[in-house]
Amino acid sequence: MDGVFLQSGTPTGTANATANATANASAGGPIATLPETISGVLGLSGTLGDVVGGLLGAFLIANIMLGMTALAGPWAKRKITAAFTDRIAVNRIGPFGLLIIVADAVRLLSKELIVPEGVDRPAWDLAPIILPFSALLGFAVIPLGSGLQLADPETGIVFAFAAASIASLSLVMAGYASNNKYSLLGALRSIAQNLAYEIPLVVTAASVIIFAGTFQTSEIVAAQTETLVSLGGVSIPSWYAFVNPFAFVLFVAANLAEIGRNPFDIPEAPTEIVAGYQTEYSSVYFVLFYLGEFIHIFLGGALIAVLFLGGPAGPVLPGFVWMIIKMWAFFLFTQWARSAVPRVRIDQLIEMGWKGMLVLSFANLVLTAILVGVIA
Amino acid sequence: MSLEESTPDTVDTGVTTAEEIEALLGDLVLDRDDHLNAPGFVVRPDQVQDTLFRLRDEAGFDHLSCVTAQEYEDRYESIYHLKKYDDPTDEVSVVVPTPTDNPVSESAEPVYRTAEWHEREAYDLVGIDYDDHPDLRRILLPETWQGHPLSRDYDQDRPQVVPLREHANPLQEDHEGDEDDTMFLNIGPHHPATHGVLHLKTVLDGEQVVDVESDIGYLHRCEEQICQQGTYRYQIMPYPDRWDYISAGLLNEWAYARVAEDLADIEVPEYAQVIRTMGAELCRIAAHMLAVGTFALDVYGDFTAIFMYAVRDREKVQNILEELTGQRLMFNYFRLGGVVWDLPEPREDFFEMIRDFLDDLPEALEEYHDMISANEILQVRTVDTGVLPPEVAKSYGATGPVARGSGVDYDLRRDDPYGYYDELDWNVAVEDGCDNYSRLLVRLREVEESAKIIEQCVDLLEDWPEDERTIQSNVPRTIRPDDDTEIYRAVEGAKGELGIYVRADGTEKPARFKIRSPCFSNLQTLPEMSNGEYIPDLIASLGSLDIVLGEVDR
Repeated sequence: MDGVFLQSGTPTGTANATANATANASAGGPIATLPETISGVLGLSGTLGDVVGGLLGAFLIANIMLGMTALAGPWAKRKITAAFTDRIAVNRIGPFGLLIIVADAVRLLSKELIVPEGVDRPAWDLAPIILPFSALLGFAVIPLGSGLQLADPETGIVFAFAAASIASLSLVMAGYASNNKYSLLGALRSIAQNLAYEIPLVVTAASVIIFAGTFQTSEIVAAQTETLVSLGGVSIPSWYAFVNPFAFVLFVAANLAEIGRNPFDIPEAPTEIVAGYQTEYSSVYFVLFYLGEFIHIFLGGALIAVLFLGGPAGPVLPGFVWMIIKMWAFFLFTQWARSAVPRVRIDQLIEMGWKGMLVLSFANLVLTAILVGVIA
Repeated sequence: MSLEESTPDTVDTGVTTAEEIEALLGDLVLDRDDHLNAPGFVVRPDQVQDTLFRLRDEAGFDHLSCVTAQEYEDRYESIYHLKKYDDPTDEVSVVVPTPTDNPVSESAEPVYRTAEWHEREAYDLVGIDYDDHPDLRRILLPETWQGHPLSRDYDQDRPQVVPLREHANPLQEDHEGDEDDTMFLNIGPHHPATHGVLHLKTVLDGEQVVDVESDIGYLHRCEEQICQQGTYRYQIMPYPDRWDYISAGLLNEWAYARVAEDLADIEVPEYAQVIRTMGAELCRIAAHMLAVGTFALDVYGDFTAIFMYAVRDREKVQNILEELTGQRLMFNYFRLGGVVWDLPEPREDFFEMIRDFLDDLPEALEEYHDMISANEILQVRTVDTGVLPPEVAKSYGATGPVARGSGVDYDLRRDDPYGYYDELDWNVAVEDGCDNYSRLLVRLREVEESAKIIEQCVDLLEDWPEDERTIQSNVPRTIRPDDDTEIYRAVEGAKGELGIYVRADGTEKPARFKIRSPCFSNLQTLPEMSNGEYIPDLIASLGSLDIVLGEVDR
């Protein structure tokens, strides 16, 4: 394949240098990953080039994600919820209240880090680090468009799911190590929930993989560039959300549960079990959890975009911008659900997962397999 | 005599006369001690259960409204205020005197479940022992408190030491039995969903509630004692606002106004009654809005639009009430014999304001139904959870939306009319579901009914002739009811039957002032509703009870 579609439009902002480099690098073959581009620009080669390029690339991607999270957590979340509930929300500091991000960061980080008695120390400290780490790890294989992709292994999508699943480990560690019953309940709930929803999630993703015939994220994206139908000169690409809307809905629902957002925010369930697994965390550790949750939302959005919405593809704007728009659209969706949908009960959630979603996702998989087998 | 005995277990809709009761009780009656509201019968402390069983099963007194305990110079006394759910004007008081040196009386708990908490409170504050009581512990004060604050020999200056040993090892109670895999969980006193400082001692089996016990008293403010130190005429009147501070102010004020007016035989002008009725219903809407909003918060689990919408509508009501009373929360608008001032001028603007609100209300309610009661997930969450069968509700003395959500058709505004309610056209909202959903629906429907009442009141007030606008009757500056006059009167508050018992001793201050809080009785039903349910349902049930801890703990 060639990377022409991925580079449509003008590169802007941070992506400027790298995108140009990508355009050069990809002229004669598969698109270069970000580390390759960076080492190419710096003129480094061999192991040194891999290391420097990898580190710089990872640094760049992680910072983009953390920057988005900083915007989403203290500011956008409040603004969006306020819009849904007829309020104004933060508007005092800076334009549109944007500097609340700085104020909140200072506030949260300057709080005392309370370490409760009897916590299981290494686990308790590691949990808040693992959560954002696992989500960031998933971004390693996500094609963010405009050449921003850290790695493009053949098993890319599997790696993304695997990395995202590490989050459960973090929640369990936090819940177990906190020496708090609410935390324990939250941790147990999160295990039950992730078991019940990860299977439908992955099985639904498998139906897309059957269509695309590959695990490689860039290939999945490329497979969606073909025209599905042409309506009056406008060609609709064969995004899997259009090809198989049923799988799309299933995946979005399972993804909500996977990242623990309303109506499936059961591991936290503020009115029931206080704050679930993160009850005992304060200050920096709390910020890390908070960050981790938001990066997970964005990772969820990125996975949906890659699997169902053509990845970074889109008209006029550069691919990277489209990818960001799609991720934020999913973020908006989670906040919408948060403002409007009641939380289901834990037993109802499990029942929906095992008796409903699992069956539907397997039905979807089998049907897709038959269809693809017959047509192809 | 034989009439009553020949028809046991039937609920007689007719009023049972004092003579019939006396004949029914026969030799159980030692003496008569009539109260202004009801005939009173003195019985022996060891025959309480016999008496109450007979009254419940053969005369249909199925509602133990309140238990008042007090100490006289020569004796202790427990008073059981009985009513009928079918006709709350049909009342009887069972008076149980016990000697000062041995204040032991038989418990009424086997007859009425609600007596458990009421008697615990009597034991806690006054110091009467109840034989046969399943769990006679302090309820409002800490377990280690020394002395009983409402008894005559209580030493106020004695330092109270509350040792920390109670909190020594909170994990000790983790296991109910050696083989059970249960977990003990403290929900509260600081918890996002306890609506105040309520402490639920919960035993869990996995996610399911095996047992829950409410630990109350964190907000005990000696309300009864404070009232006993105030004069009838002026000093008590502003205080009821503070009992249930969820903007049920005028409803609470009415409870005191009603009991004091009946006690001192004060007439209230009709015009003032209409204003009172209107104000009280506005308060009910405000209170129900908050109840619905917080219930949605409990079930939805996050800060949702519903809470903001409910607060928005509540705000409109509060603006109206501010115009009327000058206050937004602690109204202090009622006076004995009427209200403090007339409607604000210009009256047209005020009526316009209310009408605007009433015009918008159907649409707002439609919105609530769209967002809450028609929401499928909410229905899955609330239908058939927190089930409270009507018989259980009655036994626990549940009233208000909690009782009406269990199909108990009981509303003092209609059944024991006061104010201007019996002149107006409105309905009592009753739902038969007995679950969390029904209680939610009852509140939403009651808002509609309140709106109807307010509209009729506005119509009346608009046409009221100018020279007949008497807002207060002539009330003596100092009120001194006769010595040893006793009265128990209740009104329909936002949460249910808010009753007050007052004993006068010939001075200008009450000798005993006892508040029957609806939340106190309603909260007692929580274990019945949530045992065997999941934690989220426990939280939802608690939300559906709509308790205010200020009123529970008094």
